[in-house]
Amino acid sequence: MSSEPLLRVENLKTQFFTDAGTVRAVDGISFEVYEGEIVGLVGESGAGKSVASMSLLRLVERPGEIVGGEVTYKGETVFGLEEGPDGELREREEMLSNEAVRERIRGNEIAVIFQDPMESLNPVFTVGGQLREVIELNRGLSKEAARAEAIEMLREVGIPDPEERYEEYPHQFSGGMRQRVLIAMALACEPSLIVADEPTTALDVTVEGQIIDLVDELQAKYDTSFIWVTHDMGVVAEICDRVNVMYLGEIVEQAPVDELFHDTKHPYTRALLNSMPRPDRTVAELEPIEGVMPEAISPPSGCRFHPRCPDAREVCRRVHPEPEEVARADSHPHNAACLKHDAFDVGYDGSAPLEGDPRTTAGGSGGEGGE
Amino acid sequence: MAGEDVAHGEPLLEVEGLKKYFGQDSGLLGGISFEPGRFPPISLDEQQVKAVDDVSFEIRRGETLGLVGESGCGKSTLGRTLLRLLEPTAGTISFKGDDLAALSGEELRRKRAEIQMIFQDPQSSLDPRMKVGRIIEEPMRAHGMLDDEGREARAKDLLEKVGLDPHHYNRHPHAFSGGQRQRVNLARALSVNPDFIVCDEPVSALDVSIQAQVLNTMERLQEEFGLTYLFIAHDLSVIRHISDRVAVMYLGNVVELADKEELFENPQHPYTRALLDSIPVPDPRRRGARGALEGEVPSPVDPPSGCRFRTRCPRLIAPEGYDWTDEEWAHTRSFLRAVKRRTFESASAAELRREFFGGDLPDGEAGEIVAEAIALVATDADAGTEGRGDWTDARELLLEKFARESVCATERPAYDVETEHGTDSHFAACHLHR
Repeated sequence: MSSEPLLRVENLKTQFFTDAGTVRAVDGISFEVYEGEIVGLVGESGAGKSVASMSLLRLVERPGEIVGGEVTYKGETVFGLEEGPDGELREREEMLSNEAVRERIRGNEIAVIFQDPMESLNPVFTVGGQLREVIELNRGLSKEAARAEAIEMLREVGIPDPEERYEEYPHQFSGGMRQRVLIAMALACEPSLIVADEPTTALDVTVEGQIIDLVDELQAKYDTSFIWVTHDMGVVAEICDRVNVMYLGEIVEQAPVDELFHDTKHPYTRALLNSMPRPDRTVAELEPIEGVMPEAISPPSGCRFHPRCPDAREVCRRVHPEPEEVARADSHPHNAACLKHDAFDVGYDGSAPLEGDPRTTAGGSGGEGGE
Repeated sequence: MAGEDVAHGEPLLEVEGLKKYFGQDSGLLGGISFEPGRFPPISLDEQQVKAVDDVSFEIRRGETLGLVGESGCGKSTLGRTLLRLLEPTAGTISFKGDDLAALSGEELRRKRAEIQMIFQDPQSSLDPRMKVGRIIEEPMRAHGMLDDEGREARAKDLLEKVGLDPHHYNRHPHAFSGGQRQRVNLARALSVNPDFIVCDEPVSALDVSIQAQVLNTMERLQEEFGLTYLFIAHDLSVIRHISDRVAVMYLGNVVELADKEELFENPQHPYTRALLDSIPVPDPRRRGARGALEGEVPSPVDPPSGCRFRTRCPRLIAPEGYDWTDEEWAHTRSFLRAVKRRTFESASAAELRREFFGGDLPDGEAGEIVAEAIALVATDADAGTEGRGDWTDARELLLEKFARESVCATERPAYDVETEHGTDSHFAACHLHR
């Protein structure tokens, strides 16, 4: 890619300081989003994908805190730290203030769509009124003009009879219709980037299909970029251009979508794909991933996936892999954080395979019984 | 032990004409509606939600029948009604020859040892104050099985069988992960040695990798204990993996029932097709048709007559009595839906003709009706309607003359269609198979 990315995330770290210890929810992730792209952030629960996406907008609340890394959006520093004179980390001078992020970035430049549309809409105001207010505030239109624009947006996202439904309250909308309203709100300020956090997870499959179609259409029309946070590899395959796979706070594989599915480079991604039942063919035997995802409070040494990895060798217990470029496709790198690739050269081939029962008992929670 | 009277592959449970209606009278003022424009302005509402409406099927010993549908289709209500956790409104539930719908009191209680249930949320279906050993022993105690020592031994044995450590006997549920809690639920269900287990979305709260572990365990247990499952889920991939036969529900009715391979490879109901087209396939090279359905599920209080899917069906059959080509009917159908849902902005009659009919209206009477409807909503309508779009009249006219005249609206469909995969019968409730 020759052009500058719209959003660049470098070595982002977000931690939660709890009584039980420090939870390294996001532990040094880096990725880019270019103009007009849909970038997937995929992983199982506890992988840190939601925290990562909220960190981009500085929406992490105590006891959570972004403790390191850089987030650059259109050349502006949304988050950035530097070392002070006495070795202390402090916010860089060019980092945007809280006001600037709130007024200029959130909504106007980067909008968010959350999973549960009922939580995001105020139940005591009409749907139309809430949408109108967003437009009025962010685009400086008059009340009348904003109302007309709001009705236009509702029609645009496929709400039938928008003049009528403008006056209705959120509870009078179905889940799918509410999600359409949130998409309308996100689009209303014509942002360049939308962060969508599991936006279709709570919806039925036919409704999910409708929403994905809608996003596809709108994206083609407005050329908006998306960060699509999900646990569903089916949705990833359907909609994403490039994908970041997260495991335990880290990105373990980054690739264009076709390479991720058809030239998988990380054993975790492979295991995730093999453990899924398929809608398009009958799988005789599922291959579950052994064990459970360990706690982010005390991640395993070396490669964090090694206790559950079928390819793990002794070296994986000692050496922690950062994502390295292991292939290239469409001028995009295909990165994987797995020592078995030649790019790492840490003696994986000569290392002894790990023998062991993956049913390790982690903390008090015990191991997931494997077969 | 129970169940020896039904051979493997023979019907264990036969459901006939099962209905479950809910009155909308919950709450103090629930049944009262207030309409200021009417006299008297307050009326008592007698509306009923037809959650399960005339459903018949059988489950054979040793099989897994998958029951799939979207939220609100009645699949969970059906599962609960089979167990008599909900009182059926009508119909029979014949389990090994006894009608569960007619049993009461002690007889029903004893029968419950043979039928168990596993719920979706492994968190809230386990008492947090009880140790898992006690949780697993509880059903045995309720049914007077074994003595204390025997129950403990059996609980430990079951823990091992479901893939947990027998030493976890003294732990509380909070010490377990979601997948492990679902295993505890399995052990509890198995403790009374049931023949039949209703599994209501047992893996939908779990991550995919954990889901696979639990599904594999459930399959192994089925083989080991000769269990019969009714597996309720919204996830078609999970259904395809676990089921032997699959029933698809829509708005309280079973619309299609066939062997798994047959249903997924040769679906014969337009709703099943739409469902299958909508699932995102985890393969970027197979992006394609999705969002195949327009509109939303109608209310189960007043479901459509005939085929309940007809209001959204992309293949609604042309009403008799008009002479039109397939194309003309297809145009009329999409115009009808667009008017009904008001999905377009009004325009001149000529523009509407062009947009929906490519300029040419159908011939004969059908064309006249369409022209009348267009005149009602067009911006340049006749002086009689004062140029004002009268959507309600147009809508009524089109529904009255076309949609309600279709065989899909006048008769409830039920057909056995030809099977392409395997030998089992294939039921499809769609008039396309007339």
